[in-house]
Amino acid sequence: MPTLVFLEHHGDALQKGSLGVLAKAASLGGADAVIAGEGAKSLAAQAGRYGAAKVWACEDSEVAQPLPQPRVDVIAQVVSDGGYDTVLFANSVLAADVAAGLAARLDAGLNWDLADIELQGGELIGKRPALQDSVYVDVGWTSTPRLALFRAGSFDATETGGGEPEVVDVSPAYAAHSTTLKLVAQDSAESGGVNIEDADVIVAGGRGLGAPESFTLAEELAQALGGAVGATRAVVDAGWYPYSAQIGQTGKTVSPKLYVALGISGAIQHKVGMQSSGTIVAINKDANAPIFDFSDLGVVGDVHEIVPKLVELIRLRG
Amino acid sequence: MSRPSNFPPPFNAADFVAPPTDPADERIEVGVLIVGAGPAGLACAIRLGQLLEGDPETAERLGEVPVALLEKGKQPGSHLLSGAVVNPRALRRLFGEGFRMEELPSYGEVPGEAVYVLTKRAALRIPPPPPMRNHGNWIFSLSQLGRYLAEKAEEGGTMILPETAAQKLLVDHGRVVGVRTGDKGRGREGQELPNFEPGSDLVAKVTVLAEGTQGHLTGVALDRFGLRGDEPQVWELGVKEVWKVAKPLKTIVHTMGWPLRAGARYREFGGSFIYPLGDDMVTIGLVVGLDYRDSELSVHDLLQELKTHPKIRKILEGGERVEWGAKTIPSGGFHSLPSRLHAPGLLLCGDGAGMVNIPRLKGVHYAIESGRLAAEAAFRALQRGETPASALSSYDEAVRESFIWKDLREVRDMRQVFQRGVVVGGAFASAMTVSKGRIEVGKKRAEPDADAPLLTTNRAASYPAPDGKLTFDKLSSVFASGNKTRDDQPNHIRIERKVPADVARMWAAMCPAHVYEVGAESDDGTVTVEVAPSNCVQCGAITAKGGRLTPPEGGSGPEYTST
Repeated sequence: MPTLVFLEHHGDALQKGSLGVLAKAASLGGADAVIAGEGAKSLAAQAGRYGAAKVWACEDSEVAQPLPQPRVDVIAQVVSDGGYDTVLFANSVLAADVAAGLAARLDAGLNWDLADIELQGGELIGKRPALQDSVYVDVGWTSTPRLALFRAGSFDATETGGGEPEVVDVSPAYAAHSTTLKLVAQDSAESGGVNIEDADVIVAGGRGLGAPESFTLAEELAQALGGAVGATRAVVDAGWYPYSAQIGQTGKTVSPKLYVALGISGAIQHKVGMQSSGTIVAINKDANAPIFDFSDLGVVGDVHEIVPKLVELIRLRG
Repeated sequence: MSRPSNFPPPFNAADFVAPPTDPADERIEVGVLIVGAGPAGLACAIRLGQLLEGDPETAERLGEVPVALLEKGKQPGSHLLSGAVVNPRALRRLFGEGFRMEELPSYGEVPGEAVYVLTKRAALRIPPPPPMRNHGNWIFSLSQLGRYLAEKAEEGGTMILPETAAQKLLVDHGRVVGVRTGDKGRGREGQELPNFEPGSDLVAKVTVLAEGTQGHLTGVALDRFGLRGDEPQVWELGVKEVWKVAKPLKTIVHTMGWPLRAGARYREFGGSFIYPLGDDMVTIGLVVGLDYRDSELSVHDLLQELKTHPKIRKILEGGERVEWGAKTIPSGGFHSLPSRLHAPGLLLCGDGAGMVNIPRLKGVHYAIESGRLAAEAAFRALQRGETPASALSSYDEAVRESFIWKDLREVRDMRQVFQRGVVVGGAFASAMTVSKGRIEVGKKRAEPDADAPLLTTNRAASYPAPDGKLTFDKLSSVFASGNKTRDDQPNHIRIERKVPADVARMWAAMCPAHVYEVGAESDDGTVTVEVAPSNCVQCGAITAKGGRLTPPEGGSGPEYTST
């Protein structure tokens, strides 16, 4: 089952989400990768460490901009040249467009929003969350190539110990309609410090912090732990913290190794955005808060007393 | 004792009426424009498809899009919620000869029925009162039926535009010429975000408003054209859940009494319904009139309390809640119908026009029939040689000659008598039904729900603490409605933010979706109401109780699948 994974890169960094999908694919019996854009070849070694046996690299000027359609041409070419029957994507704005375009181009089935994939009796089976993530539905494909798009944070990007991959240049014929779109300007929302979707440690604050000023507690603890700051919808609604830090159903979905929840009650809308975190630590005054039902370590107490001491202790040890 | 209506929202209907503003070559022109993919709008679309199929010349003249249908939800059905035990008569008429009810996605014919009067611990089974007999009716999930009807409408040539809110009524020289759709991609302060997309002018020869309960543009049109009825419209609020259950429920069940209080001064009019959805699901809901007075009354929490009754707990035992939702029901009936159902270029259908028979708990078949009749009038208005004005007024005549009018007239004083209390009202209700409306009970003017003076009686003390298994809090319920509305969009709920504490408490308790919170108190004794608009499931209760709901960005709100 030759599997291809689309690796997305910004600057000289491959996206963590797509590396996670690559590592997963490698564990299912080997995988190759395709990288398109400036510096694609120089990233091949990195892809190798996450399990790519072969890297298809395209550095054509047509793919210099992060636009989807030329990438559809590249991947369609690679699927044909390499005889792949499975192509996997990690969700992003770009990858979702590329996956949809490729599905149309190859007349292939695309399973969307998967959270996992596994082999059952030699068959690839996707796990798709349904009914507001309360159950997983097994999904398959009725034809090849099989396409799948995984939701953010589905897999840990852990190195597989693979070696230097073989690098193959690819330069397809671009369809006329693929190159009509031009990128006029690119801008990014301002965010302070670490991007919470990529952070290994997140300290998140909720309304239990009491006042916007108390967010300095979350910031200090995040700094001491080398992590990023997140927030619940309630405090973002109240204007205490920017929307870019919002974690939950209508904010970002995160899965850091350590998640520290300060004054967060743990409503289900918040839970679905962070439940796959490694270790969840909650500090809350209310012993009945739902967050204690799904935290690994729960402390009933006042964040204003506990957090400053915690910060001090961490700094002493650091 | 505040009256919510003394604190009107910052809302002016005239702000939502405008002439087209897009340059003529950028307007989207359609033949008939229908607003709302509910039973009324979809029936209208299906009937128009049938009529245009038989008249290709007219269809040709209407251009590329003879029939367009706007839906504010993610897809047709996303915002549909009802019981629903449906009288099949209008569906049979719509689909005509050779049609069998079995073709529809239903849960079969009503297998039998039981009515109970509840007290806190006991349940007294009574024979179904005449208005509540359901022999020959069919059980549906309205959300599922809506999705099916939408497919039929599309097969008939209707272009459905989901995730599109009808924001303004386009009126040119006194005639409705279409609607303007809502902008998308605005931030909380109304600023344009990177993905901003302005709305468009959709221009139509005939516009059919089938928006359902608390229709935004329907309200605007009633004011603009002076169409309000003899009496103000009043509403009930229904909150319901869908459960997967361990053992099948054999009959449909209605209950009266507990946990509502009988005392006339509380004005707690309502009851519950529990319907089987096949062998492994049931739906359970509680409906309460919004003329209630207690500032702590919460229909959501009363539904939770209802489920703790031994009789009902037994039905749900070993089961699991899979969905939740809420919606208002217009209940003024005959006297609250608009004075006319048409205006130049415009037709009004279904729940939006108040076509609901409260004692029989029925409205879906009136919606379908009115949609079908509206299609016939609109089609006539499109014919060469017809005067559009007289063609559209033929819709009013057709409704007056239909079973909609006859049924609603029979029970015309029903809702109003219940303002005298449940016992007296119940007796009148049965008398009126048995006599087919020949008994006059003396008309009593309904007062708007927001005029009811508030009481505070420690109502909330009996609500059960949510256990996450049988009983649930509001936030987890909003989650179960599938609502994942974008948070950073402008607030679509218009209310007076500084009000007396009892009004603020009433809104906070009333709203099943936890949109309102009682905020800080000011020196003048008022409190600030905090609003979390993205929780809103657009039930419409706030409009009945002193605020005004407007449509949020298209695609917002719940994503119902089996309600």
